[in-house]
Amino acid sequence: MRGSGTGRSRFRAFLLSPVVMAVLTGEALAHASERGHVLLLPTGYYIVGAVLAVFASFLVLAVLPPKTIVSAWSRRLCLGEIPDLRAVTSTLSFVVLMVLVAAGIWGSRDPLSNPLPLVVWTLLWIGVTLMQGAMGDFWSWINPWYGPYRVVMRCVGFVTHRCRRSTLPPSVLPDISPAWGEIELSSTLSPTVPAAREAGRAQLLISPHAGEMSGRTEGGNIGQKRSIYGRLAYTPALLGFLAFAWFELIYPAPDDPFRLAIVVALYWAASFAGMLLFSYNRWSRQGEFLTAFFSLIARFSILDGQETGGRIRLSLNWPGAKLLDAAPLPLSGTLFLLLALSSVSFDGLSKTFFWLGLFGINPLEYPGRSALVWLNSFGLLATFAVMVVVTLSAVALGERLVASRHCFRGAAGLLVWSFVPIALAYHASHYVASLLVNGQYALVAVSDPFALGWNLFGTANHHVEAAIVAGAGGARLIWNVQVAAIVGGHVLAVLAAHALAHRLHPDRGAAIRSQIPLTVLMLAYTALGLWLLSTPTAG
Amino acid sequence: MAENQTSSKFLLSAVSRRSALKGLAAGAGLIAAPGFVRYSQAQSSAPVKIGFQAHKTGIGAAYGRWYERTTTAAVKLINEAGGINGRPVEIVIEDDGTDPKRGAEVVAKFASQHKTDVVYGTLFSHVVTGSAPTAGELKIPYYVVSEGYHVASGALNRYVFQPGITDVRSQVTSVAPWISSNLGKKVTLIYPDYAFGYDHRDYFGPAIKAQGGEVIAQIAIPPTESSFTRYLPQIPAETEVIYHVMVGPAVLTFVKELGEFYGSGGPQLFGFIDSLEAVDIKSPGLEFLEGSHFWEGMPRYLQDNASDAEKAYRTAVGIDANGASVQDARDVSTAGHMFGCWETLYVIKKAMEDANYQGPADRAKLVEATEALTEFKDGAEHPQGDKVFNGKMHQVFGHQNISKVEGGKLKRVHRTSIADGLYENDTDYTEQAL
Repeated sequence: MRGSGTGRSRFRAFLLSPVVMAVLTGEALAHASERGHVLLLPTGYYIVGAVLAVFASFLVLAVLPPKTIVSAWSRRLCLGEIPDLRAVTSTLSFVVLMVLVAAGIWGSRDPLSNPLPLVVWTLLWIGVTLMQGAMGDFWSWINPWYGPYRVVMRCVGFVTHRCRRSTLPPSVLPDISPAWGEIELSSTLSPTVPAAREAGRAQLLISPHAGEMSGRTEGGNIGQKRSIYGRLAYTPALLGFLAFAWFELIYPAPDDPFRLAIVVALYWAASFAGMLLFSYNRWSRQGEFLTAFFSLIARFSILDGQETGGRIRLSLNWPGAKLLDAAPLPLSGTLFLLLALSSVSFDGLSKTFFWLGLFGINPLEYPGRSALVWLNSFGLLATFAVMVVVTLSAVALGERLVASRHCFRGAAGLLVWSFVPIALAYHASHYVASLLVNGQYALVAVSDPFALGWNLFGTANHHVEAAIVAGAGGARLIWNVQVAAIVGGHVLAVLAAHALAHRLHPDRGAAIRSQIPLTVLMLAYTALGLWLLSTPTAG
Repeated sequence: MAENQTSSKFLLSAVSRRSALKGLAAGAGLIAAPGFVRYSQAQSSAPVKIGFQAHKTGIGAAYGRWYERTTTAAVKLINEAGGINGRPVEIVIEDDGTDPKRGAEVVAKFASQHKTDVVYGTLFSHVVTGSAPTAGELKIPYYVVSEGYHVASGALNRYVFQPGITDVRSQVTSVAPWISSNLGKKVTLIYPDYAFGYDHRDYFGPAIKAQGGEVIAQIAIPPTESSFTRYLPQIPAETEVIYHVMVGPAVLTFVKELGEFYGSGGPQLFGFIDSLEAVDIKSPGLEFLEGSHFWEGMPRYLQDNASDAEKAYRTAVGIDANGASVQDARDVSTAGHMFGCWETLYVIKKAMEDANYQGPADRAKLVEATEALTEFKDGAEHPQGDKVFNGKMHQVFGHQNISKVEGGKLKRVHRTSIADGLYENDTDYTEQAL
């Protein structure tokens, strides 16, 4: 005991070595905050009820014929066509980004007045993620690389060359959308062509021979020589996302407009270089982490787009329906998705009394980010590692239960798609309060990006209702929204896992048995998610 | 990079952002007469730049919002009245993330990059203690609004002042006579087990003893605790007053469980508004506080006998009779503390005028002028009340308010004298070199 305690102490001392632990004396202004109101709610009952609801969904799915579920879930409604103006909107987005970077450098130093941090952290990271998940691939219209890429390529004469190689018209973005390749099959699906769906599904059945990139049309198909890029798969995006998560959650001043402007500018330039080097399509799909992330998340959305000769044919589908036909992710893609989920989870965990208490940090005297860089870096990686081990173990156990002959990495790469709704639910519930408040600040800031007294959009004088989520009423409302999001996300995750398991194991009994460990994990994650949202936190 | 930035962008409640900018422009207009070429004159024509070290993000953000609103309101009035030494005041905001290390960086940035005349507005004690050495090294006056005893204790340096808000030691000492006379003499302390709680433990005990009372039990609650039922039986039965200073998200739970423990009876309760700053007293779970008493630096609720200066201050900052934003009744202010920003800015103005401050070269003169201040009269510049300033300690002393919860509102029942909160120590910053 003594030895282990000393070991823990040393470990803690190492992680907290930069902490300014000696506060002379202090007023204690640790705010009672909205979490205080949540603590008075019967959150324990909520958690039990949520877990039971998710479990009930598993039981219901277990008795329903899988074909009925898939058939109903796969229904689509064609909405018509719209012109494909993404090259234009992307170029405009690039211009806006440059203005924002300029504002970050020369505008207000106040992170709640400067539009750059508000746009990046609130409108982009929170808002666009939710829009991607809820609506569709909005990002493909506003990503700031494609337009400039087209311009550069046209200037150097590469566009013509590339277009000759493509079967699609030069005005079309053949693969900017996540619909390309990965969900190509789903785009062909409609209630009127069940035969096509069945045929396609048969093609997408995972094979024990399939490699990481199975199901993809680039870089990893069996029988094709895999390039260096193909072997890397999602690795660049994984590393990029890890750096992004570290900057967002651990770096002491991610909101500082100037520093953020530099980071954004450098990242844009580095990504653009990657696109020039490896082609836009390849780098944006698996190298540039934002596009990779948004593309994965868009799988859950209700809108799908199919390029048809300079136009985009839109169709409406049920939430998550596009997950049904997803190709298995490579291992790096599996890790990428789990990192996205675990980073948000760690953001919640890192502020809990529980986590801080583990390392002897007084949450009422929170020492600030600078003092916790090492601890939180460890925490982020540890959370990711735990998430990977637990998830892959659940998949492995499930496959073992049915003596599966499938490739483990392929099975994991397929089933991990079921975590997309969970990631979205976490994102929504974790950031909803921030979106409501900082979204208002963003509206104000964009009207006067350089703090010169402008009122470009008439919102410069909008009164920011910072207390929109405050008080007992606000806390109760937000909590119920969070519970609904978490439960809904996990129910849909169970549903997705159910459908994907049937792709792996056509035998119904085997499919259900194989899901048991993953379902248990999802039940645990339901409880964990709600606990993170209801337990005392610093700040 | 940022030297020419206009960082005084405000997001306000009653005072709109644009009106604040107009206020700044009005001040600038005093020197923008025909023929005037901007910044072409001597340095004294340029604005007085006050670096506002704001808790815009991090755990202090709720307080930072109201500190900023108060600051903006005060600067608007100062500029409308001619600024400081005929120069408009410009607030340059930098976010410290409520982070001591970043706080020090921000102070350095103000001094070297923004070249502000002073640094001002820090609230959280650990940020103050983390930033103060940098202020001392760079010899830039640093006016904090922190409430901590760190300034008066002598632990900081000659460039750090707290002239707009009293410190915890003074507050704790000043309420003891009234508690002893009106609530009871046998007191049980319930406090969080860290520095803030220790201040109350260490200073209230002797203070109540001097009044013939005694602390019969001290119950230290671990900071990470979120349920208190196992601690409440430790309260001695003969307790007449529970002096509680719990803070953090579990405060509501603490009050609720205390109410469940005692039912409709129990000892008298005395607390500090720090526990419930920016929280609606009528929130579910706080019902047990009805009839209890709180210290308030300045009353949150508009009192029947409020002075005209106090009313004008509330109007300028934009808080209604309940102490919430006039534009959003849910947005409860940090009224117990934020007046310190207002008063500190007027102290800076007074000291700069006394020193005939012209620019950073006069910072040492500004320090000496601040140290030479002795008292502040009740009025528009000091709406919380008159005060005395100890130039050796760099700390102000003033009146405290004791309020009773009646009908879910705080009604002031007593105002302490300045003498109630005075104490002696051997701090003398004037002995340090400039």
